[in-house]
Amino acid sequence: MLNSLAAGALAGSLCGCAGAICSRMRLSTIAFAIAHAALAGSAISLLLGQEPILLGILLAILTSLILGPISDRLRMPLDTTSMMLFSIYNALTFISLVLSPGPTLASEKVGRILWGSILAVTPSYLIVLLSLAALYLLVLRMFWGRVYSILFDSRLAEAEGVNVKLYTYMLMTLAGVIIVFALRITGGFLVFSLLFIPSASSLQVSESLKKRIMTASIIGAISSILGILLSFSLNLPVGSCIVIGAAAIFSILALISAVKRRIW
Amino acid sequence: MGENRLAVKLDRVSTYYFGERRPAITDISLKIPRGSLTLIIGPNGSGKTTLLETILGLLAHKGGRIEVLGHELPRHAMKVRRRCGYLPQDFMRPKDEPFLAKEVVAMGLASNRDLGRLRDDDWRRVYEVLELLGIEKLAEKPIGKLSGGQQQKMMLARALVRSPDLLLLDEPFSAMDEASRRFISEDLLPDHLENGCTILMVSHDVAFKPREWGLMVRLEQGRVKEVVVNDLKPNA
Repeated sequence: MLNSLAAGALAGSLCGCAGAICSRMRLSTIAFAIAHAALAGSAISLLLGQEPILLGILLAILTSLILGPISDRLRMPLDTTSMMLFSIYNALTFISLVLSPGPTLASEKVGRILWGSILAVTPSYLIVLLSLAALYLLVLRMFWGRVYSILFDSRLAEAEGVNVKLYTYMLMTLAGVIIVFALRITGGFLVFSLLFIPSASSLQVSESLKKRIMTASIIGAISSILGILLSFSLNLPVGSCIVIGAAAIFSILALISAVKRRIW
Repeated sequence: MGENRLAVKLDRVSTYYFGERRPAITDISLKIPRGSLTLIIGPNGSGKTTLLETILGLLAHKGGRIEVLGHELPRHAMKVRRRCGYLPQDFMRPKDEPFLAKEVVAMGLASNRDLGRLRDDDWRRVYEVLELLGIEKLAEKPIGKLSGGQQQKMMLARALVRSPDLLLLDEPFSAMDEASRRFISEDLLPDHLENGCTILMVSHDVAFKPREWGLMVRLEQGRVKEVVVNDLKPNA
């Protein structure tokens, strides 16, 4: 239980932080593409009779690496490329599940991929999450000046000699890896809610971007803890419970913010 | 004039926008000396901003050759940009922009830092430039809550805080009041010229051109229509 709560808090916090940054960079749709890449990889693994996680991770990381270059080469908006890949991965997921031997749609393995599972939290998973959190913090701290400049205005940052493509690809890849590991808890269908609901909640309470990123991390962690506790006590899918927790926090903060605006 | 005394050298440069058959600027050849102020004028759509962005390497040129601060573009674009300050034409930010004015100015320094956070010296430099422009009291305000003229001054401060060798200003007076225009054209820019900075200024309104201008380039339909040399330039 403690492991699950710690892992949930870490994954939620990472997703909140990555979500706030992706929202500011208008990269929301990459989360759809990357999450469904992991989903498709896992479904293909089932079809091939392999362990579902590995191919899911590989496909998700590959997607986060190629999304930017594909968009640049084909001169397509990142959103369009993401949604195109999202559709392709969805098609691959369903074809693989239908062709998989046995009652796949009802199996526990598929359930874990689609809806997430507390059982996914092992000590080694916790260590991976901790390492990922340390890496993410280190990268943000090291390159914060330039990342912050890109978050304000990427064109102006480019005009000042910042390698905008490099930093954008780096942030996308890190967001991709975070999504892959978070979806083991939340499931492929719901991981983006953990990315964007805390980010939306932070907009209600913080005016500065730095505070928004920190608030989104905290809300992500609290949402995950609430969701896991709810899932344990009511025996419901953990991913859905986390989303309910995040949505409840959002509703409360939005209400408080609306009341404040009316009063002031 | 020796080639090493040139800040910008364009030789038959053309730039196309993606999907367009006609170039936005065509066959531009210019030699801009270091430490000079060049005015780029012309009607809307004549290619003034395209020319600035081509010189910065933000837009890839198809034909010709560009050398800026002794480096060839696009190969050394990053190196060149780090020595430039740029005030873009579209500087207005929405009201809910989550950045403080001083942070936006400091980004001009952060862009040139390899790693880590800004030091105390950097913040001192930020406030020095803010004071120079008389906007230090606005430093702690969100950038989106400032007026158009104040935002434009903040973006000018961001360009100046970098102590650039080449300063590119795109319609720098468009939102400013008369007193600010006068101060910038009569005091601020001449001081920077004296310190060896090369200035390229796109402007519709030549009423507020600094007296020290060296070249005036008139663009029409993406081509250089006229180049006027200022013989009355005080330090000529």
